[in-house]
Amino acid sequence: MSSRRVAVLVAGVLLAWCCGAGAQESGKPLKRFHEVHRAMGSEFAIDLYASEDETAEQWMQASFDEIDRLEDLLSNYRPTSELSRVSREAGKGPVTTDPETFAFLKKAVELSRRSDGAFDMTVGPLMRAWGFFFNKGRVPSSEELAALRPKTGWQHIKLDAEKRTVYFDNGVSMELDPGGIGKGYAVDRVVSLLREQGVKAALVSGGSSSIYGIGTPPGEAGWRVNVPSAVNAGKTMSWVMLKDMSLSTSACTEKFFIKNGHRYCHILNPHTERPVEDKLQTTVIAPSTTDSDALSTATFVLEPDAAAKLVESFPGAAAVLVSGDKTHPKTRNVRWPEPVK
Amino acid sequence: MMNRRFFVQGLSAAALAAKPVISLAEAIAGKQDPVRVGIIGPGSRGKELVRCFLRVPGVKFVAAADVYEPRFTELNQVCGYKVETHNDYRSLIDRKDLDAIVVASPLSYHSDHVIAALKSGRHVYGEKTMAFTVDETKEIVKVAESSKQFYQVGHQYRYAPWIRAGVEKVRNGEIGEVTHVFGYWHRNSDWRRPVPKPSLERLINWRLYNEYSLGLLAELGSHHIDVANWIFGEAPRSAMATGSVAEYHDGRENDDNVQAILSYSKGRRFVFSSMTNNAKMGDQLWVYGTKGSLNLTLEDALFYYEPKRAVEVPAAKGTVTQKGVTTGASYSAGGEMPYRGPGKKLEIPVAEDPTATACRAFIDCIRTGKKPVADARVGLGSALGVIVANQSLHEKREIEISSAV
Repeated sequence: MSSRRVAVLVAGVLLAWCCGAGAQESGKPLKRFHEVHRAMGSEFAIDLYASEDETAEQWMQASFDEIDRLEDLLSNYRPTSELSRVSREAGKGPVTTDPETFAFLKKAVELSRRSDGAFDMTVGPLMRAWGFFFNKGRVPSSEELAALRPKTGWQHIKLDAEKRTVYFDNGVSMELDPGGIGKGYAVDRVVSLLREQGVKAALVSGGSSSIYGIGTPPGEAGWRVNVPSAVNAGKTMSWVMLKDMSLSTSACTEKFFIKNGHRYCHILNPHTERPVEDKLQTTVIAPSTTDSDALSTATFVLEPDAAAKLVESFPGAAAVLVSGDKTHPKTRNVRWPEPVK
Repeated sequence: MMNRRFFVQGLSAAALAAKPVISLAEAIAGKQDPVRVGIIGPGSRGKELVRCFLRVPGVKFVAAADVYEPRFTELNQVCGYKVETHNDYRSLIDRKDLDAIVVASPLSYHSDHVIAALKSGRHVYGEKTMAFTVDETKEIVKVAESSKQFYQVGHQYRYAPWIRAGVEKVRNGEIGEVTHVFGYWHRNSDWRRPVPKPSLERLINWRLYNEYSLGLLAELGSHHIDVANWIFGEAPRSAMATGSVAEYHDGRENDDNVQAILSYSKGRRFVFSSMTNNAKMGDQLWVYGTKGSLNLTLEDALFYYEPKRAVEVPAAKGTVTQKGVTTGASYSAGGEMPYRGPGKKLEIPVAEDPTATACRAFIDCIRTGKKPVADARVGLGSALGVIVANQSLHEKREIEISSAV
């Protein structure tokens, strides 16, 4: 469903410039616009600078149309999506798919390989078994989880670039879950679209967990993003200025369920088939939002040493990782550019 | 005047309604003869068609024609390889290495491009609405039916299994006698595309100008008119439409909201509403029969049933007269309140996106020789409704379609 498609001129914090970095080639002063749009089970928000209301609205609309298109392509909640078709049919034999979906899957498999399976799109059946699919949390039996083992595992996704086909070599339908990468990919696509339109300064946010800053707001060093404390609600533990850079966060502060006094996190460890324990929050910056999205999930699953090593293997990436529990949190900085409280 | 003969293909398609689309995919899987395709007009819709066609094994886009250069780069990104380019569609048609041509150009160019492509001996997938004028629609039908090649029009609702199954049940009497079909396509966007410089306004935003487009009736309503034709089993007989610019006073020529009523035989009606500043209703159809209603969307089909009417009670079961009734204090709201409960979802095997299915089916026709479901006659029925309704909108009067034809 479309959100109200009227770009809101941001009042109060409006900054207008008549020359220099604040003006477009037309010479007209730039104004900041903000608009939100519901998609992919969350809220996408865009802040951008434009000199005309109409131009801003058209850029917003084109961006949200692109997000809707990607939801149609990649949603695992929609049986008509291309990703759902691949999930259903690739266990029966090679499925030809379009170049974009193929490239998306290739990227996902690459990230699974580099993270040793900590990021794994095939966790769909596990998400369903633990009741995270429709927010009805439950604890599945060991037998149930064991029965799902043959239906998961990124290694079973076989890609043939020449034929552009996808095949699951375990011979079963696997439910590919774009949850740990889809919003980041959508943000990257919107960033690319806005750049093609000539946008020089914008902040694109996918549900606040995957964010990209294009350029800088006029007169600023970057788009400031605050990293919340993983322990004290309402407090900030660090911040970062995004300039042509993405940031993604994984945490269990919003999606979880409590059963018999135990808190179960919605991020699953593909190796144990169980919710991750003893992790509080991971925030990753990287040049690509697709990468930072998957890395925030992978580093949430991995032990801190392995997580740090993974982040360091991505040029330009950095992270702040919080493990332990709320009474004994352990924070680890990996090339993080700003102080951490 | 149209007659039922024109719609035999569409009706026979309904007979396939319950067939899961996956069987179609599997049937095709074994036959992957290369199909070389050219596209005229790889704009936003054209690129979406390319994505869908590239999900079919063996399909390769060889060439593209467009008058707007940036489209070629965008197309290469979609394809993942370089597609040969033509600035004039005629040079694309002159190529010797094409099996099929996709026409996704602005509506006013459809007939030129479709007819030239068909006459060149290529199969053609042409976007809806089929053509811009009545004469052009008739010419396409004439050329398509005298051609050995297939022409499929982009009425993809005909390929959505849940819509096919829903229509089949309706035609079998599931909701009684159908007298009305209501189609809504409400959006909340100005329908504009970003324009790099003012001189490109009409080229990029062609949908807003009546030199190129028949507006909301064509770009959105043609699908709904097609479904109404399918359900009623005939083309509309007259059209009455109105519209205005209510929100976007930006120099556009085509209205930003349109209402239309198309009349069919036996007093049956199709009612269409499209607006572009409120998306509450979205894109949906309601099929109203004497015993129930069918709600069709691009994701599902839901049935709702009317309250049962009085039935005769056998004498032996006359409990009211023999045992009496028990008094109570309940109060029931009037029966005029709209029903707000759930409908009965039509359960069918899962399927892919209808446009992707339509593209897959077109390639299947090329490989197997089967005739397209959405053929020139299907396109004609919808196009007549669109064109005459648009004429009605401008002339502010009801117009007989037979007289227009």
